[in-house]
Amino acid sequence: MSRASAQRQQPSSSRPTGANGAKPADNVIRTKILLLGMRRSGKTSIQEVLFGNCVPRETLYLETTTRITKHYFDTIIPLEVWDCPGDITLEALDTPLTQFSTMIFVIDIQDLYQQPIKKLVDFVIAAYQENQELPNMNLEVFVHKADVLTEEYKIENFRHIQARVLSDLSYDGAEYETIPINFQLTSIFDHSLHDAFSRVLHKLIDSLPYLEDLLNVFCANSQATKAFLFDTKSRLYVATDASPVDPPTHNLCSDYLQTLNNFGPLYKSISASPFRMRTVPPEPIDPPSPDSAPTSPQSQSQPQSGLAAPPTDVSYPHSRLASPLASPHTPARSAQHATSTTRPGADGADGGGKPVFWPCAAASLAPTAAGAGTTLTYHLITAQLALLAIIPTGVCAARRGLVEYNVVFFREGVQEICDVEAEARKVTA
Amino acid sequence: MKKKVLLMGASGSGKTSMRSLIFSNNPASLTSRLGATIDVEQNHVRFLGDLILNLWDCGGQDAFMDSYLNIQQSTIFQHVGVMIYVFEVETRNMEKDLDYYKACLAALQKYSPNAAVFLLVHKMDLARGPKADTLARKSKELKEASGDVEVTVFGTSIYDESLYNAWSRIVHILIPNASVLSRHLAKLASACSATEVVLFERTTFLVIATSTPPPPPQVASTNPPGLSSPKTNGQLSATSHSDHEAEYDPDPHKMAPTRYERTSELIKAFKYSCARVREEFHALEMELPEFTAVLDELTRNTYVLIVVHDPTIETAALRMNIRLARPKFEELQGNSLLS
Repeated sequence: MSRASAQRQQPSSSRPTGANGAKPADNVIRTKILLLGMRRSGKTSIQEVLFGNCVPRETLYLETTTRITKHYFDTIIPLEVWDCPGDITLEALDTPLTQFSTMIFVIDIQDLYQQPIKKLVDFVIAAYQENQELPNMNLEVFVHKADVLTEEYKIENFRHIQARVLSDLSYDGAEYETIPINFQLTSIFDHSLHDAFSRVLHKLIDSLPYLEDLLNVFCANSQATKAFLFDTKSRLYVATDASPVDPPTHNLCSDYLQTLNNFGPLYKSISASPFRMRTVPPEPIDPPSPDSAPTSPQSQSQPQSGLAAPPTDVSYPHSRLASPLASPHTPARSAQHATSTTRPGADGADGGGKPVFWPCAAASLAPTAAGAGTTLTYHLITAQLALLAIIPTGVCAARRGLVEYNVVFFREGVQEICDVEAEARKVTA
Repeated sequence: MKKKVLLMGASGSGKTSMRSLIFSNNPASLTSRLGATIDVEQNHVRFLGDLILNLWDCGGQDAFMDSYLNIQQSTIFQHVGVMIYVFEVETRNMEKDLDYYKACLAALQKYSPNAAVFLLVHKMDLARGPKADTLARKSKELKEASGDVEVTVFGTSIYDESLYNAWSRIVHILIPNASVLSRHLAKLASACSATEVVLFERTTFLVIATSTPPPPPQVASTNPPGLSSPKTNGQLSATSHSDHEAEYDPDPHKMAPTRYERTSELIKAFKYSCARVREEFHALEMELPEFTAVLDELTRNTYVLIVVHDPTIETAALRMNIRLARPKFEELQGNSLLS
């Protein structure tokens, strides 16, 4: 994968361009995350696997990052991830550290030497000093590439690194000892990276308590044993209910989501699918609000519309439904059927056409000796978020209508929260 | 009823890994732990419950190969239904591989002249240069080496769906009543107003039959090199179908040509994820933006996938139809024993 964009990047504060060549089409305040670490510690692979749709095996071919690259990603909150080269210094960063909400330092688990730890300590101290007045920057350390070691060595190295960092910090000054730093073991080859980054994300979402509340109520009323609100593209979970997160369950839900994502393009039909994805036009009472852009009849040979640049997720199925909610980037196209009419979208659209249906799926697991079978249900909540819940099969079979009824209200709640978030982040010119 | 399937090829070419992936449901990552096969490993693999594949995984080291071709010739090459010969795409010694292959082919012609021969160009993920070209070149070379024996060549890799494609075609030969099954699947499809109905075998998830005729066997895969299938999913060269002879378009939907094997791969990966949590996958139903589908058990040994594009059809209706179709398909499977 060539990283031609890295050369285009200007480190000064001129208009930032996304690494994928896609300019962020917005004027929203983005939550900034700083990704630091030694050379070859794995920062760019983390970014690519999470947000760049890269298969973990292929991170082998990534080129070295030579300049600070900014990556934009929209989930429940808009994110801006700054991927820094390994030999960056704070002066070269050119932006005050207070701008960042999180600093993630990536350290190779086998790197027990002086250098990375010293660097980490320097950054932590600098962050602390800048943040004296407003200490609100989260400090995270990913002890990365944990898959290369066996279980015992993994834990041993992890503890070793943790102890070294804390002892170096206290050596530099007694007050540094109490800085809260969160250490996590990660690897791109299993789910630990997603789990770790999800936890980082939780600290950045202001409306997390409300989302968790909604999930708790949903679980109580639908007899669900566990529920997650996942971001479909990155497979990070944005919120979960109050019961403890069991890694195997989380991994299973994540795999389920990945299976569903991969299924979409397989049986997509050029002739039949666009009709399914149409939306209903807005009622006449509404001001002439922009409508969605249902796909035009795909009579061309390429079944995927060439809306976005190839590296971004062109074939992403849910982006069709996203149109009524997000600001349309594309000019409106004439719908396939006379029932839908469209108009060019204006900025900051809300209302607009209501989607006809929201995708859902259910995978039932066989009954085990422990008890009756469980079903993994999936419901799309907004264009980017999906609700994954584990419900007993009996409940799903007998009371499916009620579960879906609950989902409708859950969806409305989450959408309201998302709208408020989006509103709050708008930059008033 | 037993059909003998010979799996032969040079040492380290990937025969046992293939077997482990398809028949033992291990993920591709675990194949690195497999050791060299000593002499012949005979497995009686249950396929479709009653059909037993007598799979002979023959160790590829020279000493064994020499023994097969000399002392054990009649034992190995008699009563063979299918011979699968595996070549590595980037092999160090193509000459030697071809020599052994020709010798095996000669022995096969002597003892089992009616056997079908499949050649797999394996480890395609390691191929240097553009894959389609490499595969075309290799196919030509192998066909020439085979003389006038008819062979089918596939390019495969355990890291993508191409392996499922090759093996689905291979076992298709061994299923006696595949066309009957197809006809009944077509009937089920029309009853459900479905676009497509696919029958999978339960353990291996290889495709047994489909309601629509499968795309013509692609010797060179239409997907650009392995990078594309899991990642971009958008590189569907759907119009490369050669079935446009009729004036009306027989394939209005133009779904991805590799969808069957991709489905096998995805479901198997999900089954493996479930197994890691000590759960067992049972059934799946989806209402996605592009289509609605139900994947459920049909008989003891088969799974059926019904794909519907009409947005008004509910998954519960499809499940009911599956339930009603069950007895007929169980009967069909019972009949297959007699043929």
